[in-house]
Amino acid sequence: MFSSLYIHIPFCIRKCRYCDFYSVKANDALISAYCEALKKELELRKSGVQTLKSVYIGGGTPTILPEESVKRLAAYISKGFGFAPDAEITIEANPGALDNKILQTLLNYGVNRISLGIQSFDDADLASLGRIHNAEDAASSIISARDAGFKNISLDLIYGIPGQRLEDWKRTLLKAVEFFPEHISAYELTPEKNTLLYDDIHSGIVEMPDESLVSDMFMLAGELLDAHGLRQYEISNYARPGCECRHNLNYWNRGEYLGLGAASHSFVDGLRYDNLTDVESYIKALSNGELPAGNSARLTEEDALKEIIFLGLRKSEGIDIELLPPHAIPLIVSAADPLALNGLLECNGSNIKLTRKGMLLSNEIILKLFEAL
Amino acid sequence: MNIRNFSIIAHIDHGKSTLADRLLEFTGALSSREMTAQVLDSMDLERERGITIKAHAVRLKYTADNGQDYILNLIDTPGHVDFSYEVSRSLASCEGSLLVVDATQGVEAQTLANTYLAVDHNHEIIPVINKIDLPGAEPERVKEQIEEAVGIDCSEAILASAKEGIGTKEILEAIVKIIPPPVGNPASPLKALIFDSWFDNYQGVIVLVRIFEGTIKPGMRIRLMASGKEYEITKVGVFTPKMEDIDQLAPGEAGYITAAIKTIGDTKIGDTITDASRPADAPLPGYKEIKPMVFSGLYPVETHEYVELKSALEKLRLNDSSFSYEPETSSALGFGFRCGFLGLLHMEIIKERLEREFELSLITTAPTVIYKVIHADGSQIFIDNPSSLPNAFESIEEPFVKVSIFVPNTFVGQILDLCQEKRGTQTEFNYISKDRLMVVYELPLNEILWDFYDTLKSVSKGYASMDYEFLGYKQSKLVKLDILLNGEAVDALSLIVHKEKAYYNGRQIVEKLRQVIPRQMYEIAIQAAIGGKIIARESVKALRKNVLAKCYGGDITRKRKLLEKQKEGKKRMKQIGKVELPQEAFLSVLKVKE
Repeated sequence: MFSSLYIHIPFCIRKCRYCDFYSVKANDALISAYCEALKKELELRKSGVQTLKSVYIGGGTPTILPEESVKRLAAYISKGFGFAPDAEITIEANPGALDNKILQTLLNYGVNRISLGIQSFDDADLASLGRIHNAEDAASSIISARDAGFKNISLDLIYGIPGQRLEDWKRTLLKAVEFFPEHISAYELTPEKNTLLYDDIHSGIVEMPDESLVSDMFMLAGELLDAHGLRQYEISNYARPGCECRHNLNYWNRGEYLGLGAASHSFVDGLRYDNLTDVESYIKALSNGELPAGNSARLTEEDALKEIIFLGLRKSEGIDIELLPPHAIPLIVSAADPLALNGLLECNGSNIKLTRKGMLLSNEIILKLFEAL
Repeated sequence: MNIRNFSIIAHIDHGKSTLADRLLEFTGALSSREMTAQVLDSMDLERERGITIKAHAVRLKYTADNGQDYILNLIDTPGHVDFSYEVSRSLASCEGSLLVVDATQGVEAQTLANTYLAVDHNHEIIPVINKIDLPGAEPERVKEQIEEAVGIDCSEAILASAKEGIGTKEILEAIVKIIPPPVGNPASPLKALIFDSWFDNYQGVIVLVRIFEGTIKPGMRIRLMASGKEYEITKVGVFTPKMEDIDQLAPGEAGYITAAIKTIGDTKIGDTITDASRPADAPLPGYKEIKPMVFSGLYPVETHEYVELKSALEKLRLNDSSFSYEPETSSALGFGFRCGFLGLLHMEIIKERLEREFELSLITTAPTVIYKVIHADGSQIFIDNPSSLPNAFESIEEPFVKVSIFVPNTFVGQILDLCQEKRGTQTEFNYISKDRLMVVYELPLNEILWDFYDTLKSVSKGYASMDYEFLGYKQSKLVKLDILLNGEAVDALSLIVHKEKAYYNGRQIVEKLRQVIPRQMYEIAIQAAIGGKIIARESVKALRKNVLAKCYGGDITRKRKLLEKQKEGKKRMKQIGKVELPQEAFLSVLKVKE
């Protein structure tokens, strides 16, 4: 039974150079048809009344939706689901496409958490990422959100940008904490296939910073944010105590969730599935009354165990040993021991968790544990 | 009955298989519809590499221009230097050979070596200049070359194109006219030469024989003169090329026998079959026990595949008695086998078959020769694994080979440099035509094991060719070079090298290993040592970062698959202590550019 809902809004004003999330350029007709399709999908997918503890509206740039559409969506959702009293309702928003009116509308419809795609407070970084905003827009979007009344603000930051030096990253971090955000996500820039950035790297136009610099940036973020009261609770996420993103924690805790919209993913009744990626095909399927189904897979016991391990190790609190099947515990603990000796992970009676140094090597460590199974 | 027995001598790619196909087609043994390209090369590997590995015998029926019917037995020969003994037994089964030379390439080292073998067996030799349809064909020049290099009259040489079917009839007529009919007395005690055998799941070992004296028929009790084993013949027959049982094989005939023989190790190539109740007084000449020359350790990457590897080796050995295997244990690699091969090609073929047909993932250690170690008290041991070289000994000897190289004069400088670098001693240097030379060197077998042939080909732009034969053991200044990872010697990486090259090799190997070992969670120290003294050191810096930065939006399955893909990549790595070594590391020690 899911208690988290994700809604994907696959529209952007312009595609960023590094982004491989699915998005297209929007027009009013397409947005309107898409909202209609979302409504249909919601009706097809929901079964009985569910109480939601978290809603996450991501993109794309969800705030690109006109007020009318926001209103319609809000109506569909509140008609379809019940809400827990303290439900976390997040929307992603981007500086440069945000005004007070939108912020007010969102608050009015119950959105209580905003995740701002700041990425950097350095104009050179923002340009090399291909963002539509500059550092000033970034700062003013945070102030606007705070002024409008958002009490839970998350800032997305990116490090490891071509040309970015350790001191540049430090300056961005220091600037970010000046706004006293409740939450920061700091992601290493990862060149994904089918992005402009990836192509430029492969044709030698752009050079990615070296591994050692990027590792230093990761360590710096952890130490600096910790010192400012933002505790690292996942490889790329930091929060003031109690402000950890519940929606994302649900992913890492292997809770179930329903995803709506093109290219969204769901985990419902033990089945992981995704939707058609292409907006047109998504709309078409639903207008024919069909589910926009993409791939789906029921997890084997082994898959589930691997998920417990690799998702668990993303979190600072690590894997809860009690969640492991009894036969796997000695295997994993004995594979973990030599890593613990080298300061990469810690193993107490109830949890296996990575140190910060270990987080940087998490794939290697996860594979060692997979091998032990 | 008019019989002619012949084989075809040709360098790789000079068109032997195509010519054989053409003869089969022309004599109606197979319709062109039934011909898959190159019928005689029935193993996939042979077809891919264009090399004939197993000998075959095919009976062709031919009505000559003189109106008489003939039976022509084509005895195919393996086409690589590793198999020269097998070639010699096939040649011993015939009275004549077609010497096929590519009209665009000319005489090559192997052509010469095999022609000499054929001359030693008193063959009538029919020169055939093949591929005359190609634009670069120079039949007259090639004829001259054959006359000068091989000393065979080419005035009657047949100009042919096996591909286009040109000259096929002329070749068949020449076989009938020039090659003498076999002689032998059907009433004499049986003497049949084994020139090939293989294992068949239904019939046991199928033995190819050439009858010299007497007659062989089903029900007869036979004795194999070298092994002393006795069997009762169940079937005799011929390949047309389909298998056809017949009543008997008489003197001069070639065909197969079956006798419920369980392992081909019992049917040694070159052995003589005789009648157990009326044995011949002496076997046919020329029998030799074939001994592997090149040894290498084969280990499963996945330790649990040991049993599968063992059963795969058993199965392969059913069909190839020339390779050997013994269980061995390496402290680095665990349980595996020390395998012996006739040569490097043979080793590669076996390894490839194990990986392809049996789906095994294998680590091959660097190939080595057998060294003779002489102790102070005069006692000797032979070692086929560098790690078993004792710490103290009086002297050490290594096998030497005589290598004959044919090369256009433009590349001779590079070839001489190569042989020099490989510790060679020149024994001959002759022009065989105005722009081609034959150079002969005595070289340690160890030095030609790995990249010699490839280097020879690359420095001569593919024009040089070579052949080698075993000479004997000679004393050399050899030392054991150990490779250490994080301070621990890895036995599977040890090498025996010449003392003067040891420093250089050691430095090259650690450098090469540094390149092939991927960075891991901990720093890896790579060292080369001679007798405990470190002579070279490199290190692979620790990996600092391998992490999926983003995991949100719910696409958990894709993230899991990314990790599984990374795991796949690591699968072909062998864990040695804390270090994961890629398979190529074990051979990279030999791929050092000198």
